[in-house]
Amino acid sequence: MKATAPYVYPILKRILTVSLVLGLLLIISAFLGLSMGSTAQNIRQILAVLSGRADQYPTLSNIVWRIRLPRVILAALVGATLSLGGLVFQALLRNPLAEPYILGISGGSAVGAIIGILLGMSPFPGVAFFAFAGSMATLLLVLLIASTRSAMKKDTLILAGVMVNAFCSSVIMFLISLTQDSRLHNILFWLMGDLSLSDTHRTLMLMVSLLPCFVALFLFARPMNILLLGEEMAANMGVDVRLTPLVLLLITSFMVSIVVCHTGLLGFVGLVIPHLLRLLFGPDHRLLVPACILGGGAYLILCDLLARSLPSQGEMPVGVITAMIGAPLFILLLRRSRR
Amino acid sequence: MDETVRPLNMPSCANFATRRKLYSIAAMLMLVLVFAKTGEPRLLRDQAGRTVSVPDNPLRVVSLAPSITEIIFALGESGRLKGVTQHCDFPEAAKSLPKVGSYVHLDLERIVALKPDLCIAVRDGNPENVVTELEALGIPVYAVDPRNLDTAVDTVLEVGQLLDATTKAQRLAIEMRARIERVTERVAKTRLRPRVFFQIGDAPIVSAGNNTVISELIVAAGGQNLAEGPTSYPRFSMEQVLALQPEIVIITSMTKEVDLQQMCAEWRKYEGLPAVRDNRIFVVEADLFDRVTPRLIDGLETLAGIIHPELFR
Repeated sequence: MKATAPYVYPILKRILTVSLVLGLLLIISAFLGLSMGSTAQNIRQILAVLSGRADQYPTLSNIVWRIRLPRVILAALVGATLSLGGLVFQALLRNPLAEPYILGISGGSAVGAIIGILLGMSPFPGVAFFAFAGSMATLLLVLLIASTRSAMKKDTLILAGVMVNAFCSSVIMFLISLTQDSRLHNILFWLMGDLSLSDTHRTLMLMVSLLPCFVALFLFARPMNILLLGEEMAANMGVDVRLTPLVLLLITSFMVSIVVCHTGLLGFVGLVIPHLLRLLFGPDHRLLVPACILGGGAYLILCDLLARSLPSQGEMPVGVITAMIGAPLFILLLRRSRR
Repeated sequence: MDETVRPLNMPSCANFATRRKLYSIAAMLMLVLVFAKTGEPRLLRDQAGRTVSVPDNPLRVVSLAPSITEIIFALGESGRLKGVTQHCDFPEAAKSLPKVGSYVHLDLERIVALKPDLCIAVRDGNPENVVTELEALGIPVYAVDPRNLDTAVDTVLEVGQLLDATTKAQRLAIEMRARIERVTERVAKTRLRPRVFFQIGDAPIVSAGNNTVISELIVAAGGQNLAEGPTSYPRFSMEQVLALQPEIVIITSMTKEVDLQQMCAEWRKYEGLPAVRDNRIFVVEADLFDRVTPRLIDGLETLAGIIHPELFR
């Protein structure tokens, strides 16, 4: 133990510095998210409301605290979850292109969630359970397809994910074409990734279920580092090479599936953020897990801000923005990993 | 809309007079009730069965659906209207009011920023969570649920009551009922019930089954709805429609004018079809049939004229 102490302190310091910087970024994004929206407001009034002098502007105070705040928190939680999802999948599958959306995990959750909705389940736990089952089923399917050929070759895994994703979309379209439901329009909007259905209660529920997962993943940061060295090495260093990945996949699928229940399909967040952060801070997961939580949160708040303010009428689904940023990056990474 | 009260037959005239007397008594009773309660918010039961505390004289009303906007304008109470939805395009003046998103995807923030003292929602279409959120923010939401001709009239009366326009609402309701009666009475004179296929969508072909306003209008206008059945909006293949042998085909103008011409041309290819043989393919304005408003009666009269031209010349 004594020998590791000097090694632990520098990393602790680095974790704190990185968290501080990204935390600041998160706070700035949250401030922007709270002060901009579909109704024009002047900044002095916003500052007054934010500093607690709400009684002067009751309407604005309602808008900021009751409408925008739940949405900003929701965006931060969802961004953090999807970034972590990407980070974990990339580490476990040792594939830089792995990500919940690309692997079809999100699509599987969506199929489960829609089945739950059509069966008339309550959002929680009924629909959430179906979504979790859907995500586990697709994860299993992708791993099975990929493992039958040359042990987890990069392209095979991604190809399997893309195909499972395509299959999931067709199942979703099939289910939608069966229904005569007036909720159809909402389902379609939700599928494209939508944060507008946030309210205080739902956001709180999501926070309560996600925060423990964040902590758990942080505790698994060191085993994740070691797993990257290869199974044999990891086993020698005392990491359970069967149980650890299983627990990690379970936690991640759980997180992703409840996020999909709330906000639909948001692609590529788990690709953009982990890659960017790895580029900035190196491959240590003890650093990357908190960085993904804070940075991913800030990223999605800003994407949602764009989605809210770009169209002059109404708003667009935030999934459109994340895909527009993420898909080109995916192609770039694919080209680089081929070289 | 007033000029459309056309001459009536003798028996219905008598009927009309007695009804009018009844309504005026009812109106007076209602006025007494309203005046007795001025100044304090009223507790009303809305059409979704919820109890809503509604201000006595709401001055900042936000309409959450095109049909509600139309009703408010028809009552002459558009001065109270401070916000409407994206698709509220009738009458023309509604277009210039502030928009609060589309009725299935409402922008909560814009609604709240308009500081409404009352929102009127439709039960079928407006997302439930927006309604709950609005109420959590202290904005009363009165939900209406007009599904057929009868409840359309009721809704006019209820919205009138909400907006302190009871007299105007009574007058409008009486006029609507009289126009409905005029159509049904004329149609009752004939046993003829032509087979009508009502086409809503182009690809896929969608029609309207039982429990829809469209089906009710077809029957009230003296036609037989070929899409009758438990499914509200059933889909059809062209093959199925041909097998049904419609004598009249009615297409709603959801699509652009060019596409409509093309759709009509598409139908005319099937020469053996009774509707094609007799040249009875018609295009009608969609808004008259999918918005449950006073204009629904225009829709009914249009249909009656199409289905029984011999009775409505």
